[in-house]
Amino acid sequence: MTAEPVLPGARNHEHLRNFPPVSTWDDHVEYDAKAHPRKVPHSYMLVPTTCFNCESACGLLAYVDKEDLSVKKVEGNPAHPGSRGRNCAKGPATINQINDPERILYPLRRTGERGGGGWERVSWDEALDDIAGKIRTALSEGRHEEVMYHVGRPGEDGFAERFLNAWGVDGHNTHTNICSAGARLGMSLWAGFDRPSADHANAKVILLLSSHLETGHYFNPHAQRIMEAKQAGAKLIVLDPRLSNTASHSDAWLAPWPGSEAAILLSVASYLLRTRRIDESFLRRWFNWQTYLAELHPEATQDFETFLERITDDYARYTFEFAAEEAQVPAEKIAEIAELVADSDGRLAAHVWRAPTAGNLGGWQVSRALWFVLALTGSVGARGGTSPNGWHKFIPQGPNMPSHHERWNELIWPREYPLSTNEMSFLLPHFLAEGRGKLDVYFSRVYNPIWTNPDGFTWIEQLSDPDKIGLHVALTPTWSETAEFADYVLPMGHSTERHDTHSYETHAGRWLGFRQPVRRVAMDKLGHAVTDTRDANPGEVWEENEFWFELSWRIDPDGALGIKRYFESPYGSGEKITVDEYYRWMFEHNVPGLPEKAAEQNMEPLEYMRRYGVVEMDTEVYRVDERPITEEQLADTTVDDAGVVRKPVTLDSVAPVVGEAGAVGVRHDDGSVTFGWPTPSRKLEVYSTAMRDWGWQEQTTPGYIRSHVAHGEIDIDAGDLVLVPTFRLPTLIHTRSGNAKYLNEISNTHPLWLNSVDAGRHGVKTDDLVRITTEIGYFVARVWVTEGIRPGVCALSHHMGRWRLHPGEGSRWVSGMVELSHPDGEHTWFLRHKGGISPFESDDPDSSRIDWEDPGVHQNLAFAVHPDPHSGMHCWLQKIRMERARPDDRYGDVYVDTRRSAEVYREWLAKTRPALGPDGQRRPEFMLRPLAPTRRGYRAQS
Amino acid sequence: MRYGFAIDQDTCIGCHACTVACKTEHEVPVGQFRTWVKYVESGEFPATTRDFGVMRCNHCTDAPCVKICPTQALFKRDDGIVDFDNERCIGCKACMQGCPYDAIYIDKDTNTAAKCNFCAHRVDEGLEPACVVVCPTHSIWVGDLDDPTSGIARLVNENPVQVRSPEQNTGPNVFYLGADRAVLDPTAAPTGDSYLWARPDEHRRDASRDLPTDPVTQARTTLNTAHPRPWGWRVTTYLWTKAVGAGAMLLATLAHLLGIDLGGIADVVAPAIGVAGVGLTGVLLVWDLKRPERFLYILLKPNPRSWVFLGSVVLAIAAGLFTAWLGIGLLEPAGAMTAATGDAIRSWLAVPALLAAALTAGYTGFLFGQAEGRDLWQSPLLFWHLIVQAFMVGGGALTIAAIGTDLQAGARTLLLSTLTLATLGHLLMLLFEHLGNHATKHAAAAAHMVIKGRYARMFWAGGVALGLLGAALAGIGWAGGALAIAFAGGLIVQIALLAYESVFVRAGQDVPLS
Repeated sequence: MTAEPVLPGARNHEHLRNFPPVSTWDDHVEYDAKAHPRKVPHSYMLVPTTCFNCESACGLLAYVDKEDLSVKKVEGNPAHPGSRGRNCAKGPATINQINDPERILYPLRRTGERGGGGWERVSWDEALDDIAGKIRTALSEGRHEEVMYHVGRPGEDGFAERFLNAWGVDGHNTHTNICSAGARLGMSLWAGFDRPSADHANAKVILLLSSHLETGHYFNPHAQRIMEAKQAGAKLIVLDPRLSNTASHSDAWLAPWPGSEAAILLSVASYLLRTRRIDESFLRRWFNWQTYLAELHPEATQDFETFLERITDDYARYTFEFAAEEAQVPAEKIAEIAELVADSDGRLAAHVWRAPTAGNLGGWQVSRALWFVLALTGSVGARGGTSPNGWHKFIPQGPNMPSHHERWNELIWPREYPLSTNEMSFLLPHFLAEGRGKLDVYFSRVYNPIWTNPDGFTWIEQLSDPDKIGLHVALTPTWSETAEFADYVLPMGHSTERHDTHSYETHAGRWLGFRQPVRRVAMDKLGHAVTDTRDANPGEVWEENEFWFELSWRIDPDGALGIKRYFESPYGSGEKITVDEYYRWMFEHNVPGLPEKAAEQNMEPLEYMRRYGVVEMDTEVYRVDERPITEEQLADTTVDDAGVVRKPVTLDSVAPVVGEAGAVGVRHDDGSVTFGWPTPSRKLEVYSTAMRDWGWQEQTTPGYIRSHVAHGEIDIDAGDLVLVPTFRLPTLIHTRSGNAKYLNEISNTHPLWLNSVDAGRHGVKTDDLVRITTEIGYFVARVWVTEGIRPGVCALSHHMGRWRLHPGEGSRWVSGMVELSHPDGEHTWFLRHKGGISPFESDDPDSSRIDWEDPGVHQNLAFAVHPDPHSGMHCWLQKIRMERARPDDRYGDVYVDTRRSAEVYREWLAKTRPALGPDGQRRPEFMLRPLAPTRRGYRAQS
Repeated sequence: MRYGFAIDQDTCIGCHACTVACKTEHEVPVGQFRTWVKYVESGEFPATTRDFGVMRCNHCTDAPCVKICPTQALFKRDDGIVDFDNERCIGCKACMQGCPYDAIYIDKDTNTAAKCNFCAHRVDEGLEPACVVVCPTHSIWVGDLDDPTSGIARLVNENPVQVRSPEQNTGPNVFYLGADRAVLDPTAAPTGDSYLWARPDEHRRDASRDLPTDPVTQARTTLNTAHPRPWGWRVTTYLWTKAVGAGAMLLATLAHLLGIDLGGIADVVAPAIGVAGVGLTGVLLVWDLKRPERFLYILLKPNPRSWVFLGSVVLAIAAGLFTAWLGIGLLEPAGAMTAATGDAIRSWLAVPALLAAALTAGYTGFLFGQAEGRDLWQSPLLFWHLIVQAFMVGGGALTIAAIGTDLQAGARTLLLSTLTLATLGHLLMLLFEHLGNHATKHAAAAAHMVIKGRYARMFWAGGVALGLLGAALAGIGWAGGALAIAFAGGLIVQIALLAYESVFVRAGQDVPLS
């Protein structure tokens, strides 16, 4: 017997342990909770997997009943270094999603009109052949740009890239620009990496422009560490116009006017600079201050002391008073926060991911200003500070990776947005409407743009038009508004019903998690034959990896297109790769340390991952920028004027995930060569040459862009308010948790948060209906008067406002039946609910116990697209006008004029400066670009 | 060994993971909770605060639910866990009245009582409760409070801690660190018209309107769960049927002992009313059970300390004695028994029947006394008050029955004086009980609902004014007025009592316990 490893989440005290020992996981006897106190034993196989609700990818442990192979419940996985055996409410609620009587069990094909509600059950074979045939034709005819994969919840890093590169398609589209593009740009400009990894557990001061004690990635892993730090004396600062649960735990809660956050952070930076409470040696070594001076102060002495003087002067205008005026908060409160930050001793852990960066025109400057503060305090990459995500995550490659191609799809990466951090996904229907292209095969993968994206009626218009979208395939575990407009609805499994790997920067370590179909694993171990995951899943629910293997095989049955070879067994059989072979190969070859860890347990790597569901690769990872470049890595390299160490590249080279192709490190003044940062200068870029090169001279340094909902834009007396439509609840996740009854029963209404001052001015009280008018229409909401939000701002949570057009096309736990009409012509849309949520009969007696009735208000429909001209982020915050509901208004009504929404699209498009960079480059090579083509592909004239 | 929880509200983030993990562990029906998170907000922007409280069974050292449970379905284990056995439960809901923490519900799947049982099935196997395992911030501590070296004992002993409703003296074993007072005190933060992402149930919303808002903190509950009244019209009616039956027999036996001849009223009508009253009482009680088919468990699996059980014994004995009394009254006129024999047996039966009648009326005082979650019901006068009520409605019933009979003067005086004086006595007692000082905030809040709040109209018009009218009419009859006037009085006091009991039963259950 080998000793069991100590699991990061195992606890054993007070004579009790939190999880059964791993040695018993194949045969764990637990007594029936409902039969208690009688001892009725059940024998379970405990199989780890990964949660599929939010993106945190927390570990789960499924209890598979060995008698009937049912999944009894899911707990946390104590082997998981990120979640450490713990979960939020959405983890255990997975069991509701598995057992949802409303779930889609079989592949469905549309009959009749798109969106008409007619469906027939088809076999997987029929569906696969039809889809594969269409893709094969498109590829054969050179219409590669007409194939698109659009992902909501991200799948395995690199998996979609595998099949899309194999197909030769630049068709990777995501939800990023309605999510995090703003935060990504601000951070990318500084550091190359696009995400922060806050080391909350060891911080002295935690600064959140987020609500990580209740939502977001990585809610559960972060919340546990934030609270640990607080227990150890750390101070928590929260900026949020709304009293979030996170703010309720803060030592300092600042509720600024939305969009003023960058001004606040710059005033803090300015304070740090003028009081010289900065980490000078860090700045001297890691800022590209020479470029800053040379570009902005060419006349000055080009030394570091002068740089400090000049930058201090340059930021002197960001006083506390200036910030206070922008933020409509007392200057003393900002000074108080600045003092806390100044006192952080290089242990400032900070995070922003959506919130202000996703809300405001210029919101990307918020994360840029935040990184400015982090760098000034010397917290970047430090223990207790904030690192980039790339240091704390790992992307393993599968076998036989296809090479990159040079195609560039302008429906996804248009000329107007060369600096967009990720795909301009939410403009897709406008691009289609403008005739910029069309799609022959469009996959929406766990993605619900009609509901989640702004301007959903324009999505409906385009998705309904077969001339714009030839075939729409929805891959989803649950019904969604978007699936209602698909041609195929293909059921994919929940977290316990699929394979993939995940790795996220939950803390200053690295791990790789393995999601697996738990019944399949149990069936394997119990000797039941399994051909593919469909044999183990309910109905004919499948998993995507096997689906893509199979589809790719069928696109290229004879290998003529050169696709099939990427989907053959890596073990030389010439057969189609199996999902077991895929992961076996990956774990054997491309996960450093895993084979050794497995060997210690007398296991094969795949066996180890099936047993533990995760492998921890590193702990305590800090200051990777200082990691020396080895002699071996220095071979063939040259050093440029700025000290960047490069290997030779050609136009057929491909840039890494972040950073420029060939760049490996930076040589410092002392002669040492270290990894540095994946920016053009391999330094932290206080001056961004990319901004300069793509035509934004005035945005080359951290700055403040006044938001489209800045205080001066809002005429309070006329009835204007700022609407925050994005805040999330700890119990729900986007539109995918509607099928979890234990979550719905906790959170099931959709009140409009309104401060008592605003309520008084508008003469409304709790439960009154109000009409909220936006640029393109209006909706009708119900008021909740609260002191939990700042005056001038109102808020409606994300998640609610779900609907279905036809019976059977949505979850009755959460959605209401609606009618869509066109009161003022085809371009006008009116949504009205036909009754809310009510109890229904099903196999689950709980469905008859539904005691909630509010389907909520689908506010996103009434929002025009607001693409930020730099980051491409949709700027979610809305300037709205509020009035009491009119006599004919009903709760939940939504009215939109899509001609008007096209006008607003064009207004925002006009803010851009379409440009090519040096050598005709479409975008800076160092920035993250999923499915990056070869360097040749970046060049527009090539 | 004393298992307990310590809940650290300083680190609790209000995420509901405990709630959902518990629900999946025990497959708790939708709408019901063994543990849940309450939110309270206080203050005005920007000084607004939000506090969380994790609510659940307190595994009391002196658990009122165990005491009141008639069938020992709820029991205290040697390790301190208050556990339950749903196969013994008859669904009488008395435990829900005994619990001062809203911890118990009737499971919609089994129709039996359920609550947090510390995941005893897991603890028995050396595993932590599901809520402890899942908690992201490890805010729920578990362990042996009797072991001073345990982590939980040190946590509780070395930090300022609070418990919910300490005034109930139940010895709660859930300790809170850093909890806001307004979270733990269920009357400190009324519920508004809406929660922050759910809706308060109507019962709580209505009840909250009668609770004062703290003028300084303005604390308001912004998330909580529903706890409907366990007892409704059947219990209200049971109080009346029992009172009428017992009251009639109280008068019949008293008259016998005092030598006042009520004739057929005492011999036939009173025991008939007694038997019918007790019988209907039994029917209502069984009807009110969520598992009526198990009603015999009360006698077959009894908890000798429970007044549900003891009351059932009282009712059974009373039913037997009243039936015997009636038997004599029926056998005599039929000639099957001589008057002398009948009188002898009556003399032998009179005192036991009197006591049985008194206990039938009054035992509910002890039962309500065991309902420790309902402070309004905790009056030491309640036993006597119930007996006075029995005289009132029993007297009223017999007065009604006396119409058309040839009543002797002494008999008439006995009936009408009893009706008049008992009604006045009842009114004095109820005014004393509701207008006087209240031992607890909870009782005061309930009394406020009765005299000034949601029940004021029914209380003053239905309970008090009708009662006064009934007493006045009875008094006129007593003073020599027509018996028909007293008849009306006898009728009116029945309505007055029903109105009052309806208020008393509802208001007692309306003050939130969580």
